[in-house]
Amino acid sequence: MKIADTIRRAGRSLRQAKARTLLTSLAIGVGAFTITLSLAGGQGGRDYTDAIVKANTDVKELSVAKKAQTSTAIQEYTTNATSTTSGPFGGKVETISNADIADIEKIAGVESVTPNYAPAVNYVTTPGQKKYVATLSTYSPSVTLDYAAGSVNGALADNEIVLTQDYASTLGFAQPADAIGKTVMINATKLSTSFAAMPSAQDFTFTVKAVSSKSGLAFRSQSSMLISSNESKTIYTYVNEGTSVYGKFLLASVRVSDANKAGDVKTILEGKGYDAQTAADVLGTINTFINVLLGILLGFGFLAVLTSIFGIINTQYISVLERTQQIGLMKALGMSGRDVGRLFKYEAAWVGFLGGAIGSGSAFVIGTVANPLISKALDIGDISLLKFAPLQIAIVIIGLILISVGAGILPARKASRLDPIEALRTE
Amino acid sequence: MIEIKGITKTYGKKQNAFLALDNISFDIPDGTTIAIIGKSGSGKSTLMHAMSGLDRPELGEVIIDGENILTLKQRKVDAFRASKMSFIFQSFFIQPNETCYDNVVLPLEIAEVPRADRRAKVEAALSAVELTDKIRVKAANLSGGQKQRLAVARAIVNEPKILFADEPTGNLDSVTGEVVESFLFDYSKKRQATLIVVTHDPDLAAKCDAQIEIVDGKIASIKGLTQSTLGKAE
Repeated sequence: MKIADTIRRAGRSLRQAKARTLLTSLAIGVGAFTITLSLAGGQGGRDYTDAIVKANTDVKELSVAKKAQTSTAIQEYTTNATSTTSGPFGGKVETISNADIADIEKIAGVESVTPNYAPAVNYVTTPGQKKYVATLSTYSPSVTLDYAAGSVNGALADNEIVLTQDYASTLGFAQPADAIGKTVMINATKLSTSFAAMPSAQDFTFTVKAVSSKSGLAFRSQSSMLISSNESKTIYTYVNEGTSVYGKFLLASVRVSDANKAGDVKTILEGKGYDAQTAADVLGTINTFINVLLGILLGFGFLAVLTSIFGIINTQYISVLERTQQIGLMKALGMSGRDVGRLFKYEAAWVGFLGGAIGSGSAFVIGTVANPLISKALDIGDISLLKFAPLQIAIVIIGLILISVGAGILPARKASRLDPIEALRTE
Repeated sequence: MIEIKGITKTYGKKQNAFLALDNISFDIPDGTTIAIIGKSGSGKSTLMHAMSGLDRPELGEVIIDGENILTLKQRKVDAFRASKMSFIFQSFFIQPNETCYDNVVLPLEIAEVPRADRRAKVEAALSAVELTDKIRVKAANLSGGQKQRLAVARAIVNEPKILFADEPTGNLDSVTGEVVESFLFDYSKKRQATLIVVTHDPDLAAKCDAQIEIVDGKIASIKGLTQSTLGKAE
């Protein structure tokens, strides 16, 4: 019997037991649904974090900190060791000094080292408005921003500032575009002021160059206003000069001349007692979480498939018993045992195909409908967290067909070994 | 020419052994219609199974066109049945949920007849049993007589040289039974095909060229076959 005829006959037999076929395929469908959704979630999640990291970090940039002390023993006093300040969780964190920066700059492939100034400022205001708490970050041309109004081409000039949409509206601009070209003042206090004197504070004046919009990708732009690196340094120097923490930084960003050298520089830095993170490291850390979560989901999917395998074996056995006479007749008419077995294997394949198509199809439909809702709920703009790749769906369906054929082997063997004389004995 | 030589078949083992066929021998010339008659349990169905290669007796030969089908490999026997033999059973064994076309086309699929040739053959077979108008009808919607006519169409569609009919009219009333019989004899006459009918209906047996009566696994009498073949039976 030709394969095409066998496949057609197998499909026809299934149509004659519609309810049973559908129920058996639905069991596989549950597995296909879970697997397809978790694969789509994995793809979407990885693409999303990839986009976030690409938009917020530069492949040529490494974030460098002193390696955390692993020993709890009290260190001997050296001039450098005085620079420890309390870390965020109460531990001691070593800081990077200007000497360290000069040292790092000497490493081959390093283009520049910029300490993370992160100056602490008091407030931001515009003429005629209240004062608001402000956070500042340093603008980097390599980080992608979405703009609600205006834009920055290349470097940000020293007296310019990028506001966030939230700051723009809080500071009284009805539309983001209204803020462009307006003046904002940032106020900072000099920490080294002696107790006797009045605390001195200074306003730093900026012109609004652009307003960044909320983006599903950028995390920095959502909370911080951005100023140039030089201006950060100016404010930092004003605030911290003369204090014990002046010239000591928690983080520095190292810029390498070539993206390929980032890994080498990282190795050298780690040899010198620094922790260095490249963009790839950041991405890897986030992706590990995503992969673990999806691994669990995939596991559930495979569990469902495993359960459905027994369903297929069971229904196919019943089908062989029900069709004993038909099998007998086909054998009497000269159909070989192998072809009879094949007929039942193809039936199992059809069940697997149906289940895969139903499960993956409904996952695709539900995922496509749910995507905008998920994006809205998570407030990540127009980014899709579920990405369906046709190739993945095809592989899932083909995989399930193969698994179903595997499940159909035992019943098919029973059918192929049936004695036609016994099968045709009706008395 | 079908030559049956010394067929012996036992069921069971040792002390429980039961001799179903005991040294059966006879020849059937091509185009003969022959009835195998006997009571139920006499061994006539077992003889049919052995002659068609469905069953393998311990002793004896079934030589069809010079080839002993009992020593062929299973695949060869299957291929032999698919191309040269066909069957009609007392209880039809048609697929009620399939259309008449799908029922009749089955032997052509098994024999791997090219797709292009199938439709004409199915239509010819259905027209031979006067079911042309039922080609798209589900077999379940046919009457008993029509179902057996459908089984005849399925049996003759691939133009077999040997046709086995196991109590073909056993489930039919005499009028519809006679219609089915006439189709079988017509086919045999037209195609010079050998028709082997297993029956205990003496009227049907009398319509055949020859009759072999089986009693307790042995040939009790042979009518209508030439003397030379009779000699072998003794």
